[in-house]
Amino acid sequence: MSKKPDYYTLLGLRRDASPEEIRQAYFRAARRLHPDKTNSVEDTERFLEVQEAYDVLFNPKKRAKYNATLPPEKTERGLIQQKVLYSRQNVPRMKEPQLVYALIEYSATIDSSAPPAPPLNLCLVLDRSTSMQGQNMDVVKATAIQLLRRLRQSDTLSVVTFSDRAETIIPATSNVELKKLEARIQMLQTSGGTEIFQGLETGYHEVRRDLKKSHVNHIILLTDGHTYGDEEQCLELAKDAAEAGIGISGLGIGVEWNDDFLDKLASLTGGSSLYVSRPQDIQHILIEKFNKLWQVYAKESTLEFKLGEGADLRYAFRLQPEVGLLPVESPLRLGPILKDMDLKILMEFMVQPPSRHTENVCLLEGEFKVSISSQPIPVHSVPVRLSRSVVDSARLQTPPGEILKALSHLSLYRLQEQARMEVAAGEYTQASQRLQRLATHLLEQGERGLARTALLEAEHIQSQKKFTREGEKHIKYGTRDLLLPGQEENQP
Amino acid sequence: MIICPNCQHKEISGALFCSQCGAQLVAAASPNSQKDPMTKISSHTKQKTNPKPAPPAEAGGARISLHLVESGQILPLAVRKEFSLGRVAKGQPIMPDIDLTPYKAYENGVSRLHAMLKLVNNQVAIMDLGSSNGTYVNGNRLVPNAVHLLNHGDMIHLGKLKIQILFSPDDKLN
Repeated sequence: MSKKPDYYTLLGLRRDASPEEIRQAYFRAARRLHPDKTNSVEDTERFLEVQEAYDVLFNPKKRAKYNATLPPEKTERGLIQQKVLYSRQNVPRMKEPQLVYALIEYSATIDSSAPPAPPLNLCLVLDRSTSMQGQNMDVVKATAIQLLRRLRQSDTLSVVTFSDRAETIIPATSNVELKKLEARIQMLQTSGGTEIFQGLETGYHEVRRDLKKSHVNHIILLTDGHTYGDEEQCLELAKDAAEAGIGISGLGIGVEWNDDFLDKLASLTGGSSLYVSRPQDIQHILIEKFNKLWQVYAKESTLEFKLGEGADLRYAFRLQPEVGLLPVESPLRLGPILKDMDLKILMEFMVQPPSRHTENVCLLEGEFKVSISSQPIPVHSVPVRLSRSVVDSARLQTPPGEILKALSHLSLYRLQEQARMEVAAGEYTQASQRLQRLATHLLEQGERGLARTALLEAEHIQSQKKFTREGEKHIKYGTRDLLLPGQEENQP
Repeated sequence: MIICPNCQHKEISGALFCSQCGAQLVAAASPNSQKDPMTKISSHTKQKTNPKPAPPAEAGGARISLHLVESGQILPLAVRKEFSLGRVAKGQPIMPDIDLTPYKAYENGVSRLHAMLKLVNNQVAIMDLGSSNGTYVNGNRLVPNAVHLLNHGDMIHLGKLKIQILFSPDDKLN
């Protein structure tokens, strides 16, 4: 790896790239690396290399000659490794639909010369509605100041507050005059309602102002309330943000906020949603989130896919680095790959009976794309094909332990989902029974506190025909967090 | 099609966990590749040769625990055929096998001899002993002195005292 990258890698191309693709890639690279644009010596050197690469590859004769000198493509080591585990080795020929689970793992190959994590371009969007008054606001202020002090030279942090309307407290500028900025945060007062779109839009513009490909661009929304009527607008904005390479994560404080909405908002951009039950937890949760952002190696990973014939993606869940339900449509925004933590996704497919002569069912086909900011050249996309061979006789198969373990927790999260749906549909007895079953499993796994909450909710549903708002969130995020990696070690 | 041994729900072939009750439907790959006939659920073909679903809540070789919901405590029960549930009262020579006094039995309206837990054909059952405030299973009041079979996870009310019944397979205890 100490050698220079080959021309294809340099331009972020595949070996079979068309002349047009080569031209495009060259222009893209040249625009970024041109000496007029940048003062860095490294970039200028890279620019010369890119020119050389283009010169060779664009000329078919030179290209053929050059190709002959390259080692076969197989030996080429990608920067991103893909590993897939399936719940079964093959699919028996049956007259009924079947389920297949796939656990996909992406890891980054980091050599010792790995550059430091990319700089952050981050906006904190803070809810300052009346309900935030008191401890919530105090902790938020203190944490914001703490984060401000911890920023590295290259990081940018902007702060936006909102209630009925939004205000930029700290614009997206680099870390200057710390004292002044701290004072501005200290002065924050609470008043008014919660209109998330106002805050989100202003935050979005702050991040866009300093938008750089090489940065980790992210918005963190802190709210404690419901927003009314502007959910759709927010989700539209999230889609734009995702296109622009900006992630959105949400922190919901207390019990009033709309968790379904915040989950969706975050999942559209590959971000995460977090539940903060007590004000004193705001600090460590927010700092942990920052630490994750400081660990980003590859960002904006996206899976673009088409489903195979007769295959249906019923459920997708990100297990790592941050847990969260994913939408089941292409493109899937999967967020970052961290330096020391791989990206893991669990998918559930339903496969229709294969036709008589089919020997292989394709579940999904597509491309995994990612951008590695420390790498000045675009990274190859990884082709993805999930498939299983079809066999005539069904043999009992033991699924891999990792899938079983993930599913044992995920099935609890799904019990909770179903109970919520049942309550919404007025099926209170079923919901209550389901929560009792959930409690049983939680007890088996040693989660006493959560089990107790589930049982109390089961009862509350029977008598009051609804969840308590606190219990509902507690169970949802409690079961979700069981999926967090290394959960066992973290148990007190 | 797979049938969940715990709740008899029909699952799509290939499912690993029951979507209704969360029970695991396949055996895990254990490092010591012991065969575990208890938990292996067959796929379609095998199901035909053996159409009977596993009996519910088999307690043979399982241990019973009582989960006292209010206090969050779990009482594992010794292996015995019968247990009476109740509370000890001063000055009266009634001694139930399981004294619930520490769990606010009196305040919750538990009778001195309230109910009996027993093993019937390897299944766990409960019988109300004519208590003043009644015994409920999952919200339904039991007819006194009639045996009612229990399932894993059932909620029992002795008067107002809530107890969840848990079966744990033996192997988990080791």
